Amino acid sequence: MKEVIELLKQSELFASLPVEKIEQIISIGRVKTFDAGETIIAEGEPSDEMYVVQEGMVEVLVASGALHDIPGPPELTPVVQLGRGQVFGEMALVDRGARSATVRCVEDGTTLFVIPRQAFWELCDADHHIGYIVMRNIARDLSFKLRHRNLPRALGA
Amino acid sequence: MIYKVSYVVVGGRHPGAIVNQENPPRLGEMVKLGGELFEVVEVADLIPPQGEFAYLHVTLRPVKKKRHKRR
Repeated sequence: MKEVIELLKQSELFASLPVEKIEQIISIGRVKTFDAGETIIAEGEPSDEMYVVQEGMVEVLVASGALHDIPGPPELTPVVQLGRGQVFGEMALVDRGARSATVRCVEDGTTLFVIPRQAFWELCDADHHIGYIVMRNIARDLSFKLRHRNLPRALGA
Repeated sequence: MIYKVSYVVVGGRHPGAIVNQENPPRLGEMVKLGGELFEVVEVADLIPPQGEFAYLHVTLRPVKKKRHKRR
């Protein structure tokens, strides 16, 4: 419990929330562990959870050059790796759409804190302060990810 | 302070990474991402700090593995 509180305090998504509010979020989530190569979420699938990396590393991949008339699974291109404190699956939390990317575990024993969407929305509806802070921080996190995504192009990487 | 770091790798196939850490990366330092080793060649503020968080952009280059000469 203490470990998860520390993680969420250090995750930007929950920045500036007091400990008692963080404990409320912890009460609706659970911890899951993955090994390298395991797929955590798959692009195009329905979504109902958001994830915070507690320990280890995951990789975000998107289908590239997928042509519907070519048989077999589309080629997946890695776009970024996410380490401790990073959040993924948050877009689904906001827009309820299908997964926009595939996320795979990179390191054995990667631990994630999983937050179910429905329970989280209910918590935000019941406590608008939590809702406001987390939604503001999700917007900030998505903005940071966009900046990160644009940098390699600017640098010619 | 928590440093949210955007690592961009130049000259390699690594896609880069975003990591929260307690200490800022420094020029010349070695960083391990997903089992691969990189050297820090640039550190800059990505956006102004907010609250407990500082937002850094770091450019990395892969560390070439030394080849052992056969005798």
